[in-house]
Amino acid sequence: MIQAVSLVKSFNKIRRVDEISLDVKQGEIFGLLGPNAAGKTTVIRMLCGIMQADAGTVKINGTSIEKAKHEFGYVAQYFGQYSELSVWENLTFYASLYGVKDETRLLNLLERYQLSPFKTTRAGELSGGYKRRLALVCALAHDPKVLFLDEPTAGIDPVTRKLLWDDFYALSAEGKTLFVTTHYMEEAARCHQLAFIAEGKMIAQGTPQSIKSALGDVHVFSVDLSYSPEMTSAIEAIEGVVLTNQFGENLHIVTEKKVSKEQLEAVMRRVKGEAVQLSLTEPDLEDVFIALTQGEAS
Amino acid sequence: MIWTIVKKELIQLRRDPRLMGLIIVMPLVLMMLFAVALKLEPKNVKMAYLDEDRSFFSELIKTGLWSDGYFQMYEVPDEKAIIEEIRAGRASAGMYIKKDFSDLLTQNRQPHITLYVDGTMPSLTTAMKYNSSAATDADVTNDMYFLDENDTTTVIADTPFIMDTEVLFNPDEKETWFFLPGVIGTLIMQIALILTGITIVREREQHTLEQLFVTPISKASFIIGKLLPYIVITLIDFYFILGVGWLLFDLPQPSSHLLLFALAAVYVAVMISLGLFISLISQTQQQAMFVAIFIIVPSILLSGFIFPIEAIPEVVRAFSYIIPFTYFVEIIRGLLVKHTLFIDLLPAYGALFGFVIVFVTASILKFKRTL
Repeated sequence: MIQAVSLVKSFNKIRRVDEISLDVKQGEIFGLLGPNAAGKTTVIRMLCGIMQADAGTVKINGTSIEKAKHEFGYVAQYFGQYSELSVWENLTFYASLYGVKDETRLLNLLERYQLSPFKTTRAGELSGGYKRRLALVCALAHDPKVLFLDEPTAGIDPVTRKLLWDDFYALSAEGKTLFVTTHYMEEAARCHQLAFIAEGKMIAQGTPQSIKSALGDVHVFSVDLSYSPEMTSAIEAIEGVVLTNQFGENLHIVTEKKVSKEQLEAVMRRVKGEAVQLSLTEPDLEDVFIALTQGEAS
Repeated sequence: MIWTIVKKELIQLRRDPRLMGLIIVMPLVLMMLFAVALKLEPKNVKMAYLDEDRSFFSELIKTGLWSDGYFQMYEVPDEKAIIEEIRAGRASAGMYIKKDFSDLLTQNRQPHITLYVDGTMPSLTTAMKYNSSAATDADVTNDMYFLDENDTTTVIADTPFIMDTEVLFNPDEKETWFFLPGVIGTLIMQIALILTGITIVREREQHTLEQLFVTPISKASFIIGKLLPYIVITLIDFYFILGVGWLLFDLPQPSSHLLLFALAAVYVAVMISLGLFISLISQTQQQAMFVAIFIIVPSILLSGFIFPIEAIPEVVRAFSYIIPFTYFVEIIRGLLVKHTLFIDLLPAYGALFGFVIVFVTASILKFKRTL
C-alpha cells in the first residue's frame, strides 16, 4: 500500500534521512520507531508529499503521491487544525477540500470519537486528548485507505491512549493501512510491523518479535533490585556487558554470550554485600531500542 | 533570575541572523533616511516660465532665480502651457513675464510679473514662495531704478516691479487637501501589508499549513482563496476611508470616478501581492511584521506624501521611485486636487501595474506546496 524506495533528505548538507526503504501492506499497522531526531517526522512528511525528498520514490496505492491525495489522511505531530474554528467547522472545512458533502457520515465520525457534545466548541478550547481526536476525525473525513499518524499519542493520558489504539485496531480491521511514528515502546509492541531508524538510517525492520532478535546473540538477565549508581557502573565495567536498563525496582542486564550468569552474580554480590539471584529472560523492545541506538551512536 | 533570561535572549539573538538584520540593519537604514533625506532643503524645483519681454531686465530676474540654485527653469511657448505643466506634475512652479515689462520698468511704472506655485503641497508652496524672493533681491533690482536727474518730480518706488504670487489648485493652501489623499494610501498600505503579511506565515507557525498541504487543494486555489477576502476587505476599506474624507474633512471630488476606482484596484493589488510575498519569505509572524514596517516607514517618508520629493537629494530619490506609494500619492493628488489629465498620470498607473506583475511573479516563484 505504501512503497518507499531509497528516500534521502539532507538539511544544511547533513543527511537526516539516508536511503530509507519501506514496504507497508494493506491493513497493517506499521510502526516507525526511533529516538528523537532520528528522522521519523521527515520520513512521514516525505511519504505524505509535504516535504520533497532529495532522492528516492514514494508510491501510495500503486500511484504517485499527487494522484493518491484522496487515498490518504495525515495527522501531524502538532495540532494543525484551526483554533478559531469550531469542531464542526474544522471537520466540514477539511471534508470540503476533498469534496465530501455527506453530513450524516461526518456526524457519525464525531459520534464515534465522542466529539458530538463539542460540535460547536472552538477547537482551541478543547483539551489535548480531544484535539487529537479532532485531528484524527479531520484526517478521516474523506474515508482514506491509508492514515499517516506522526506521534499520535505523544503527551496523551493512558486512558485516551488506549482508546486511540483500540480505534487504530478497529481501523486496521476495516482494511485501512496505518503508518505510525512513535518512541513509546509499548506502542511499538502493538504494531504489526516495525521499522527502527536512528540518525536517518534503517537499523532493523520486521515484526516486533523479529526485531528483538536484531540484538544478535545476547543474554538478557533480570533481577529485582533498587537503583544504585555503584552497582550500575560495576556491572557496565565488566567486559562484554552491552547495557543495563533500570525499570523501577527491576534491572535488565544485556550481555554478550561470553559473560556468564555466575560472573555477573559474583560482581554484584561484592558490590551489594549479599547474594543476588539473576534470572535469564527475553529482551523487551526497550532493551533493543536502547542497545541499537547506543550502537549507532558509538 | 532576570539575568538568566537576558543571557538566553542574547544567545538566541546572536544565533538568528535575520533578527540581527532587523534590529541593526533596519534602524541604520531608517536613520540614514531620516538624516539625509529629510533635513535637506528642496533643490531643483522645476519652474516653467514664459518670458515675452526678453530684455536685459527680464534676464536679470531669471538669472537671480537660477543662480540661487533652487529653481530649475525651462521655457514654455505660452501662458496656458505654464499652468498645464504644473497640472501634469512636470513643474511645481511657473513664471510669466509680460511683453511690456521693460517698457513699464524704464518708465518707473512698477510692472507686475506673475509667479505660479503648485498649492497641493503646502510645505513646498511655502518654500517656493520663500525662495522666489531671489527674483526681487537687491542684487537683481539694483539696476532697475531709473532716475532722470533733470526731472525732480519723479517719485521712485521702493521696489521697481511687483511679483504677484498665484497659488494654483489649492488656493487656500489647505493642509487636509495635501495630506488626506495620501493618508488613504498609507492606511491601505498598512492594512494590506499587515493582514496579508501574516496570513500564510501564521498558518505555517500554527502548523495548519502542514495539515493543509496534505489535502488535494491546488496552489492557485490556496493562494486565491487566501487573498480574495483581503482584496475585498481592503477595497471596501479604501472607499470607507475616502467616504470619511468626503463627509468629514472636505476632501475634494475626483476628476473621474472610473480612474479613482482603477487606482484603488491596482493599488490594492500591489499591496496585497506585496503582503503575500512578505508572508512567503517570512518564517514567523514577527518577521513578517518587521518586514512590513520596514517597507511602510520609508514609503511614508520618501513618497512625497509628507515631504516633497524635490526635498529629497538625488542619491536617495532613486528609492522614491521604487516605492509604489510614491505613484499612488502622485495619482491621487492628480485626481482629487489638481485634476491632472489621464495621459499625464498614465506612467504612474503603469508603474503601479508593473509592481503587481513583479510581486505576483516573485510570489509564484517563491511559493512551494511543501514545507
